[in-house]
Amino acid sequence: MPKKKQYQPGDPRQIVLWARRYAQSRTISFLVQWVFIVIMVLAIGLAAALTQTAHEQGRMGLFTLSVGVMILSALLMLWFSISRWTSDLIFSITNWLYGREGYASWSGSSGKEEPLPLWLTGLSGGLLAYHLLGALLISFNYMNIRHLQPWSALYMTPFLIIMVVYQRLGFWAWIWPVLYGIHGLLLYFGLSWRFGREYELLNIVVPIFGYGLAAILTGHLYSRYALLKLKTLTRHAIPDGEGTEEEADSGTQAGDPDNG
Amino acid sequence: MGDLDRTIHEPARLRILTILSGVDAADFNFLLNTASLTKGNLSSHMDRLEKAGYVSITKSFKGRMPHTSFSITEEGAAALKKYWEGLDAIRAMQEQNDIEK
Repeated sequence: MPKKKQYQPGDPRQIVLWARRYAQSRTISFLVQWVFIVIMVLAIGLAAALTQTAHEQGRMGLFTLSVGVMILSALLMLWFSISRWTSDLIFSITNWLYGREGYASWSGSSGKEEPLPLWLTGLSGGLLAYHLLGALLISFNYMNIRHLQPWSALYMTPFLIIMVVYQRLGFWAWIWPVLYGIHGLLLYFGLSWRFGREYELLNIVVPIFGYGLAAILTGHLYSRYALLKLKTLTRHAIPDGEGTEEEADSGTQAGDPDNG
Repeated sequence: MGDLDRTIHEPARLRILTILSGVDAADFNFLLNTASLTKGNLSSHMDRLEKAGYVSITKSFKGRMPHTSFSITEEGAAALKKYWEGLDAIRAMQEQNDIEK
């Protein structure tokens, strides 16, 4: 990690900081992952609720089906988090949305080529297994559904913090785990501000949705600001020379997208 | 001024290298946007920087789309660091001269 230095306002070396801040805050790829996670959590949660009802009413067919849906959703989520197809999809969507301004990455923030290390993949798998276990505990009445969000926060908060640190994301990324953890604590200690019995599932879905989206949108807005700062600083801190050495506009050039 | 690396001293190349030193990798469009250069100029400067060994070019495919990204090399980062140190020394010398006058 390079040493942090203080430069005067307008010093060209501040370009380095703003370029990094921009790369750390490109959040569209996270938005895609977030949408998928929310869908999977909804599927697992709904299947758990259905499993519980089927178990109470002794409907074995429905019970088997909902357990199957729960396991399938968990496996789909695991596949999504490690497959090559996912990274290509995320890149295509990111490119579609950010293509005009280009692509910049900083230590995995938006497009790291290497797959996650084994221990992190294990933790992702553990996250799924843990939530599946929570859903099953609720299904068999070993845990009240009221405790699902605090149960989830117990694993999710440290897991997200590890991801934020590992991927060296910007400040915005901390919003999600910190608020989700605080929410879990408040619910566990009896916060009365919660959804009622029929909408109990929303007590986990809304925090995941809400805090995740808040973090991603904060990151996105910050990336706009960082890009503006970067462009302005680059133009003013390193002004164009009186006459540049080259004004080449012909021939095959390095990396010109028109040349592949 | 004689000590300053002429390859880096050119404003467009200094912009490119400084931006690249803040990220792991960046593509052509990003550099085009942030360094405020024309396509031809950027290509030409990237060629020069690559020949000097200051940037590396990685060509890959993302799905079916070709993707070219640029990174600063260790040699480029060291040259840039030396350049800023050289510039700081010149500034310090100038300030000293101004005080003495």
